[in-house]
Amino acid sequence: MSTPAIPFKYMPSPLFTDPYADAWTAPFWEATMRGQLTAPKCTNCSKFRLPPSRWCAQCHKQDLEYVDLPGTGTLYSFIIVRHPLTPDQQDYVPYIPAVVDADGAPGCRFVSNIVDVEPEDVKVGMPVKVVWNRVSETLTLPFWTAA
Amino acid sequence: MRVTMKDKAAIVGIGQTERYRRGASLPKSMMDMAIEATLKALDDAGLTVNDLDGFAFYGGAPADPGSMAYLLGVPHVKFAATLTAGGSGAAGSVGMAAAVINAGLANVCVSLFVLQQVPTGRFGGSSEGPRKLPSAGGGGAYGGGTNVSPEAAFVSPASIMSPGHNFAMLTQRHMYQYGTKREHFAEVCISQRNNAMKRPQSIRQTPLTLEDYFAARMISDPLCLFDYTMEDDGAIAVITTSVERARDLPHPPVLISGSGIGGTGNNAHLLGNFQMPDLSFASAGARDVAKQMYSMAEVGPQDVDVALLYDHFSPMVLMQLEDFQFCPVGESGPFVAEGNIRFGTGSIPVNTHGGNLSDFYCPGMTHIVEGVEQIRGTAINQVEGAEIALVTGGPSSIPMTGTILKKDR
Repeated sequence: MSTPAIPFKYMPSPLFTDPYADAWTAPFWEATMRGQLTAPKCTNCSKFRLPPSRWCAQCHKQDLEYVDLPGTGTLYSFIIVRHPLTPDQQDYVPYIPAVVDADGAPGCRFVSNIVDVEPEDVKVGMPVKVVWNRVSETLTLPFWTAA
Repeated sequence: MRVTMKDKAAIVGIGQTERYRRGASLPKSMMDMAIEATLKALDDAGLTVNDLDGFAFYGGAPADPGSMAYLLGVPHVKFAATLTAGGSGAAGSVGMAAAVINAGLANVCVSLFVLQQVPTGRFGGSSEGPRKLPSAGGGGAYGGGTNVSPEAAFVSPASIMSPGHNFAMLTQRHMYQYGTKREHFAEVCISQRNNAMKRPQSIRQTPLTLEDYFAARMISDPLCLFDYTMEDDGAIAVITTSVERARDLPHPPVLISGSGIGGTGNNAHLLGNFQMPDLSFASAGARDVAKQMYSMAEVGPQDVDVALLYDHFSPMVLMQLEDFQFCPVGESGPFVAEGNIRFGTGSIPVNTHGGNLSDFYCPGMTHIVEGVEQIRGTAINQVEGAEIALVTGGPSSIPMTGTILKKDR
């Protein structure tokens, strides 16, 4: 069996093959399969919240709607993992976990990875755009790269 | 009249096992070491197991109070509880003991931590495979597990796997927002190493230079090897009782003057989710706790003679200097660069024992012990005339904790 090609430079080990979705989160993952980034928003007070927790911390209602986003944003913070902590990361360092402020969803941040950018070129505040990593039949992960 | 536990209880005994390098405490068990430290602490306090009636623990200890009571033969357990979260509870555990004693629930409480860093159970270790979120419960603050919650799937695939990764993320933002530099982290490491080098019991004794610091390998950039706590094995226990009783015991009482055990809900995701408000993202999540603690103790940062700040990662010392108001938010880098945290010459000596970075790692307990020794006047790097010490727990999840220790009368 041949090793599948690594689709992105500097991605972490693909440990996840399933979104572990439930009724609350399924719309997000269904949209990712179509290449559409969305963010969960309280239908009552319009506050965005990530992850899509069961209660809105602002108005204490539960209902969510998923709003389409343009798929662009700003890099809020990042790290460069240079030392593999577990054997499954051995062939995947360096990789670049990142926190992204996505355009169109003020007040919530995506926790993801920066890919296809040389580590020394990654800067807080840089404009980024989403790219899609199709991991399995049920999981497509959003990554981010330089816009 | 305002009800307060201020100055109503005191730390009266400290007990420590031998200090072991990581994994070297085997074949002793963690319970062996917890009991040894407790017996030594009782002995230091001039008390016995028959006096002990309370367990005020944190972070899973990880020694079960019920098992300890059984093995020690404690006749009457009147209180047993463990603060949630990890090393963040250290300073708060003695605050909880003071509250319990002041409330009349128990008379003599032990607080302790025991560490045995072996592959089968490693405090603060990385998680392997799909990971739960801390908020999903189970597995502790950094725990692994296969029952990934639907919420965790929004965070865990990024492979942020360990405390070091989490705190590096806050650190990077601090550097961006405030211009903080790696030289500033190095100053924390070097200052603390200098303190440890004067103490025979400290684990790291070799000099650390700026060149050494910059030559070290990067682990999770911007953190390098020296920014990380070391890991080792051992147990440390302290005994707390009422101030009246404390005055009849061998050591001068070390008053628990104020304690904060909490945080703010919107900052609870310091680990994992990274949804903290912009103004407190690059912080230790301790600003609220600092206010509660100072208010109870009726002191301010200007009154603190020595600060024992939990140092799992050197930049978190900087952020605590800000949160506990020793310098304005964002100015901790220049503050340490000016020599303010150095023992002997600085305006607020920090981690005079060397801290987790260079003395010994027993998540937060060495900071309490150093605070006690500073107030007793027996510290090796004794701050002259020290009357008020600040002790903090490790920035992580809620509750973050801080405690003011004070000289009696």
